[in-house]
Amino acid sequence: MGPEVSGSDWFNADWSSAMQKAQSELLRQWTDLGTVWSKTMAATGATSGAMGGVAGSASGAGTTGSFSPSGGARAGDDVARNFLRQCEQYLGVSRSLWDLVGRAAGTADPEQRARLFTEGLGTLQQQFAGLWAATPFGASGAGAANPFAMGNALGALGGLGPMGSMGPMSGMGPFGGMGSMAGMAGMPGMAGLGGMGPGGGAFSLPALGPTRESQESLQRLSQLAMRCWQAQMQVGGQWNDIIGKALRELGERLGPRLKSGTPPASMKEVYDLWVDSAESVYAQSARGAAFLQAQAELTNSLSQLRTAQRELMEEWGKQFDLPTRAEINSIHQQLRELKAALQR
Amino acid sequence: MPEQQVVQELGEWQTKLAQSLQSLQAAAGVSFGCSEKTAVYREGKLTLYRYQALAPSANLPPVLIVYALVNRPYMMDLQPDRSLIRRLLELGLDVYLIDWGYPDGADRYVDLNDYINGYLHRCLDVVLREHQLPATTLLGVCQGGTFSLCYAALHPERVRNLITMVTPVDFQTPDNLLSKWVQSIDIDALVTAHGVVPGAVLNAAYVSLMPFRLLQQKYVNLLDSGDNQAQMDNFMRMEKWIFDSPDQAGEAFRQFARWCFQENRLMKGTLEIGGQAIDLKRITQPILNIYGKQDHLVPPSASTAMENLVGSSDYMALGMDVGHIGMYVSGRSQRELPQAIAYWLQRR
Repeated sequence: MGPEVSGSDWFNADWSSAMQKAQSELLRQWTDLGTVWSKTMAATGATSGAMGGVAGSASGAGTTGSFSPSGGARAGDDVARNFLRQCEQYLGVSRSLWDLVGRAAGTADPEQRARLFTEGLGTLQQQFAGLWAATPFGASGAGAANPFAMGNALGALGGLGPMGSMGPMSGMGPFGGMGSMAGMAGMPGMAGLGGMGPGGGAFSLPALGPTRESQESLQRLSQLAMRCWQAQMQVGGQWNDIIGKALRELGERLGPRLKSGTPPASMKEVYDLWVDSAESVYAQSARGAAFLQAQAELTNSLSQLRTAQRELMEEWGKQFDLPTRAEINSIHQQLRELKAALQR
Repeated sequence: MPEQQVVQELGEWQTKLAQSLQSLQAAAGVSFGCSEKTAVYREGKLTLYRYQALAPSANLPPVLIVYALVNRPYMMDLQPDRSLIRRLLELGLDVYLIDWGYPDGADRYVDLNDYINGYLHRCLDVVLREHQLPATTLLGVCQGGTFSLCYAALHPERVRNLITMVTPVDFQTPDNLLSKWVQSIDIDALVTAHGVVPGAVLNAAYVSLMPFRLLQQKYVNLLDSGDNQAQMDNFMRMEKWIFDSPDQAGEAFRQFARWCFQENRLMKGTLEIGGQAIDLKRITQPILNIYGKQDHLVPPSASTAMENLVGSSDYMALGMDVGHIGMYVSGRSQRELPQAIAYWLQRR
């Protein structure tokens, strides 16, 4: 047994440096793994690049092959490189946090200690924001605000097992979920759509580790949010088309009148003519297959997104033993069965 | 159009806008539902009302109005000069109305069987018991008419006469735009997401049928009523009713949307409520089917299909040259419809 230490001594040196050493060791191990993976993908890429991850597995690369997104060795290499960059950034931020904790603990005056810690945390927040803003899988044009990339990033990082739940970063699950929700603005790290293309990227990585269930729900949330966004674009496109046609229709109705010398007597008449034209065009377009499909897709994707968001909220609520929708629904069902039994 | 004319028109619009804003403010507190009524039965969110007589009894069986779930029933009693109920009362009819109320989250599992074989059945119990009658007249409105048809098919012995107003039977006629939209909707996902489907969702669907008229032109035309307080009051009552849409009990919504809109079971003869088949041929009572020739929500073809499905030899269709809402509030309807109903009932 070593010498007894005071509260502040305990906080100093030994504990924080031990944490830093542990994280460095973990990073080294993941780096080694990533290097092996990258080399394996490079070796199998020339003969089976078109088959991507499937070929990777078939070549005997074992479980590492199954981690690769479809798209071959190059995509896997990029994944590894970006993943390692993220880990180094994470380690840097983590080191800064422990340094801060150590310095604050060494300050005798409580007010000064609190001020030091708070100011230091403010600086760290910028580093955190920078970390989340980094595109995880190297999408070009990163930086365009996209609320769905947050969930994508988390899906990717979360797929890396224990890293996703280490230390102070264990709260990243909820952050990602919030960032992925439509309408929740202001979250940092709204980067470009990494991995959304045929390469699959984060969405094709299986969730791993103890938090895999929440990882999967976050991945699904991101996918649904993207689907909603795409559906909104489709519907918007349909409306653009309708307005364009309506304007042409208005022109066709106005033209003959102007030519014949009987123009509209007032602006209100022109407006009414516009409404007639627009409704006429709309009545046709709203029955068309493209409009029906776009509208249905928007409605259906929004419904599913709403449900996924609620399920995420319920998971949070369960952590605090709060009543959930599912629980109350269950009670309603039981009441209904009781009522039916009584009426019989 | 000369520039001067445009400027003058803009000036006139400014004046109208100012007047309209004043009138609108004065119209903010309008009331609706003008006829006295008494609550004679309550169950859950539902209230059964009996209206106070306004004339000596015509000695006809009481009329139980079964309104739709998707809107509020005070449309039928909006104001003294726009009240179908008031006109019926003035003709000596005894009128009851089922007010379904405002479902909430606790009603998410209420289904069509609950509404038809449960609530409607028990409301009719109250009316029949009060009047010591074995059967009486059902007057179903829109979706309430569909419910009334189902009820009459299941319990024909309790329905003496059946009146349906703007009631859909064939939900997949070519001119039914709302039906086309519903075909590809994942109803399960919608109900799972909401539990109780918000009335706002239905409102959005209805106004989307004619968005330019209902979301724009209607309000532009309002400026022409700026100097007429009575017209402004009428507008505000209508506006309140249009957007005062109750939320829909999830299971009932799921069943109605899927079974009627998506699968058209009533037309195909495959609809079951509470495990019992709905065979409209079992309806042999007199039927008066009233529809609006300008109805864009329930096109005439959706309603007139009833004729070939029912077993009644005393089926009469009455087409009014009005729209879905005009059926209740238009001057023509106020003049012609109550008399037509009373006359038809007197001869049965």
